[in-house]
Amino acid sequence: MKALAARVLVRWETLLVAAIVAVGIWSVTLSPFFLRRANLLDLVTPYVYIGLMAFGLTFVVITGEIDISVASILAASIVAFAQIFAHGVGVWPAALIGLAIAGGLGLVNGLLVGVLNLPSLAVTLGTMAAYSGLAFVILSGEGVATFPTGFTKFGGGYLANNELPIALLVMLGFALGLGILLHRTRFGRYLFAIGSNREAARLSGIPVTRVRVTVFVISGLMAGIAGLVYVGYFGSARADAAQLSLLDIVTAVVLGGVGIFGGTGSMPGVLLALILVAEVRNGMQLANLSGQLQNIVIGVLLLAAIVAGNLIAAARTGNRPAKLRRLRKGVTASAPAEAKVLVDSNP
Amino acid sequence: MIAHVRAMKPQELAAAAFRLREIGIVLALIAVVIFFSVRADNFLQASNWQDIAQNVSIVIVVAVGETMVVLTRNIDLSVGSIVGLCGYLVAASLAHHPGMPIVVAALISIAAGLGLGLVNGLLVAVGRIPAIIATLATLAIYRGIDAEITGGKNITAYQLPDRFLSLASSKPLGFPALAWIAVGVAVLGAATLRFVPWARDFYAIGSNPDAARFAGIPSGRRIIMAFALSGALAGLGGFLFASRFPTLDSAAANGFELTVITAVVIGGVNVFGGSGTILGVVLGAVLVATISNGFTLMRLDEFWKIFFNGFAIVAAVTIDALVTRRLQEALRRRRAALLVPPAARSEA
Amino acid sequence: MRKRTLVVLVGFAVIVVAAVTATLGTAGTSKSHAGYKIFILPKGTGIPVFTQNGLGAKQAGKELGDTVTYNGPTTVSGAAQVPFIDTAARQGYNAIVISTPDANAVAPALKRAAAKGVKIIAYDGDTARDARTIFVAPSTNSLIGQYEVQWMGAQTHYKGQIAILSANATSANQNTWIKFMKQELKKPKYKNMKLVKIAYGNDDPTVSAQQAQALLQAYPNLAGIISPTTVGIQAAAQELQQEGKCGKVQLTGLGLPNDMRKYVKAHCTTKFGLWDEKNLGYLSAYVAHNVVAGKLSGKIGQTFKAGKLGTYKVVVSDGNSPVVVLGPPLVFTPQNIDKFHF
Repeated sequence: MKALAARVLVRWETLLVAAIVAVGIWSVTLSPFFLRRANLLDLVTPYVYIGLMAFGLTFVVITGEIDISVASILAASIVAFAQIFAHGVGVWPAALIGLAIAGGLGLVNGLLVGVLNLPSLAVTLGTMAAYSGLAFVILSGEGVATFPTGFTKFGGGYLANNELPIALLVMLGFALGLGILLHRTRFGRYLFAIGSNREAARLSGIPVTRVRVTVFVISGLMAGIAGLVYVGYFGSARADAAQLSLLDIVTAVVLGGVGIFGGTGSMPGVLLALILVAEVRNGMQLANLSGQLQNIVIGVLLLAAIVAGNLIAAARTGNRPAKLRRLRKGVTASAPAEAKVLVDSNP
Repeated sequence: MIAHVRAMKPQELAAAAFRLREIGIVLALIAVVIFFSVRADNFLQASNWQDIAQNVSIVIVVAVGETMVVLTRNIDLSVGSIVGLCGYLVAASLAHHPGMPIVVAALISIAAGLGLGLVNGLLVAVGRIPAIIATLATLAIYRGIDAEITGGKNITAYQLPDRFLSLASSKPLGFPALAWIAVGVAVLGAATLRFVPWARDFYAIGSNPDAARFAGIPSGRRIIMAFALSGALAGLGGFLFASRFPTLDSAAANGFELTVITAVVIGGVNVFGGSGTILGVVLGAVLVATISNGFTLMRLDEFWKIFFNGFAIVAAVTIDALVTRRLQEALRRRRAALLVPPAARSEA
Repeated sequence: MRKRTLVVLVGFAVIVVAAVTATLGTAGTSKSHAGYKIFILPKGTGIPVFTQNGLGAKQAGKELGDTVTYNGPTTVSGAAQVPFIDTAARQGYNAIVISTPDANAVAPALKRAAAKGVKIIAYDGDTARDARTIFVAPSTNSLIGQYEVQWMGAQTHYKGQIAILSANATSANQNTWIKFMKQELKKPKYKNMKLVKIAYGNDDPTVSAQQAQALLQAYPNLAGIISPTTVGIQAAAQELQQEGKCGKVQLTGLGLPNDMRKYVKAHCTTKFGLWDEKNLGYLSAYVAHNVVAGKLSGKIGQTFKAGKLGTYKVVVSDGNSPVVVLGPPLVFTPQNIDKFHF
């Protein structure tokens, strides 16, 4: 019994729940409107699109990579969808095409990283800029903002007497589905294996290349779906959509307990972290803090989450995390000799 | 070809690769100039080139600092926010103390940038936070501090002393003042990387962090130094930015980090660390600015500029990574022949 | 040991958040205050004209006994305004007075708020017509467009290439004024003037400056720039002065007297216009108050009293309705520029 309690209490997710409760108490002191059912249900709605991208990014990070182009994929896919729709195609077929484009852009990332073995940070830094530029070329500075209400309901509609946001249901649905994919299927186990030790995974027969390409496609597709929710909620498709959302996405992933070097993480954690971020932002909005000021707090939260993660890893293994990473990636004993040659050969 | 490469000493190999890169950029630059001089009016006019020089100076100053960080296998995404924040500090100081010497305002800016860069360095080296995340967070934090300081207002050009505003239009010897400063910074930066011992360590840390540590290089201190320099130069960039765009609000220099990183990447600095030159970065920045200017003169929709920038980064990164792969392979074969006898060799 | 560290760290994060809020934030509700709660939502808080609007609105609020909150995004974008709209609705504000750079983008959010009983009044930058009850216009749109072309024509002696440096491509007021400018340009006396380009500065000072420079580069024979936005005209003036082109390339548009005074004295422009921004905010708050009180419903012909500004009527203006118009534009010249201080 004590062991069970210890296992539940010491988990990262429990801490997140505690934090959510704490922030909730703080929010109540700011405004009595916080506890109204309509407000609580609506808490996460403006951030659902961020949560969906965070879910996709989680897959990538668990395999030990990173994808900072997700916001640009969202922008490119929604402007493509908007332009296609504006040229007469029905709204849902156009949305499907937009999704396909999002997946395609993710595929490009996946091929560059998975097949050509390029470093994911550099690649997605470039594709982030390229896809954003693509979005501007497709739709320049304008915006398309007249979508049929049947469509905008996906991101901005409400059920049950105008109180239950559809976007919330969408997010929970994906969290559940992706969580099952990650934690209960063979594919999911492959991700953790690759993130822990890619060479060992390859040697044990896992189709590493195929899996690595697939996670980037998943990340791209989730950005596409996030885009549909975004258009529904914000009411417009613009090339600069979601430009500043990367901070919240990465914060949700890191705060959710996903190890930044790969190999560990949980979908429920990311979901809880997203709720926490939404709650903190909502509270700050109630306090009339400007958006930029809110970003300071989220930035600090991000840093604190990493430092906390580092400390846990240190306590758990008794080593410094950097050493842990090296052990995983298999640095050999030839390092000292290489060092000597390296220093001598500097231009 | 591979055999020839195998026969070269490691430093010759590295040097050859660098020169290849710079020659490549120069060739591209020549091709671009020829293309635009035919297709666009007024491209070759002196006033046009003065415009290009002036616009690219701010990028170059900040890019020199960014290069130092990228060499160590890190990245600094917060330079845009530092430029905006320091630029506002300069403008606010001059608006409230019109008698302040311009140099003092510049020093304030550099000092502020240095402090902000130090924080970045500490987060990365001591806090062990990956640079991409640390500087993503500080990008937001510094921008938020900027918003807080401005208090939702802005500084408009009419509030600033004329001698400050004239800095951007003065052209000593026919070359814009801002460009002179950029050239000075570039020369100083290149010299530092070539001759100053702790700066040369940046290359070692970026090529192989573990090996560098084993060789006795205090990586932590060096990385902090790199970020501090990046911040200080971003601070100087903020001063130049304020003189060029004297109306500043809290959104100033939003997204500027992407322009800087584009110049750095196209200039041949490997995002994975360990190689790159200031000359390449300057050439890269000039190339990007020239193409941008050419697009403007051709009256092209400016969004093609944004797309082109992004595409160029992907192309440059891909080429660089593949070239580095070849280089590393060759180096490894070279080392294998130099060091441990074959029997005891463990696969690297 | 590690659990304690974690708790400390999370606690630290929460403390940071609480401290920031405690020192900088204000709760959305005040202690019970008789009167309505009105939220003024500008295009962007960093732009001086909106600060002026806010001051005027707050003054009206004091006279009326209403609580007036002024807040908005720091970057000019319709999407950035959406969270503010939602929060205002959730915090029980009676009215939202909004100026938006993207008429359609904010419509769904505004309709959501309206469904919760919030009254929507648009001013300066109009929203989609079915998303607001009344629009408060700073002046008659057709007049603004005509005047700017007339001022430009007079300065360029009615010949040459001209360009427009606008704000956002999705901005309703910008597009309306440009429409009337183009109409005015069709008149025979402008037959030697040609509009060659419309550039967009997004109401961002740096982008506007860069766009102005690009215009000068791409059209070396440019005779004049019309900038119907205070951010744009100031940036263009600064660019012209920096490049030494004042007097060679004419400049006019809508600008703040304080911003433009030194450029007027440097002969960069001889005529431009605007209106009293404080009065615009003041009037908008009065309109909002009356709509919430049920005295104004948007029917053409209704009248109301707006404090020190006098009586106003709800009208149809340039095909837009229902509208309350502040008055004719103010014209600034070298002779009267020193009389205005905003």
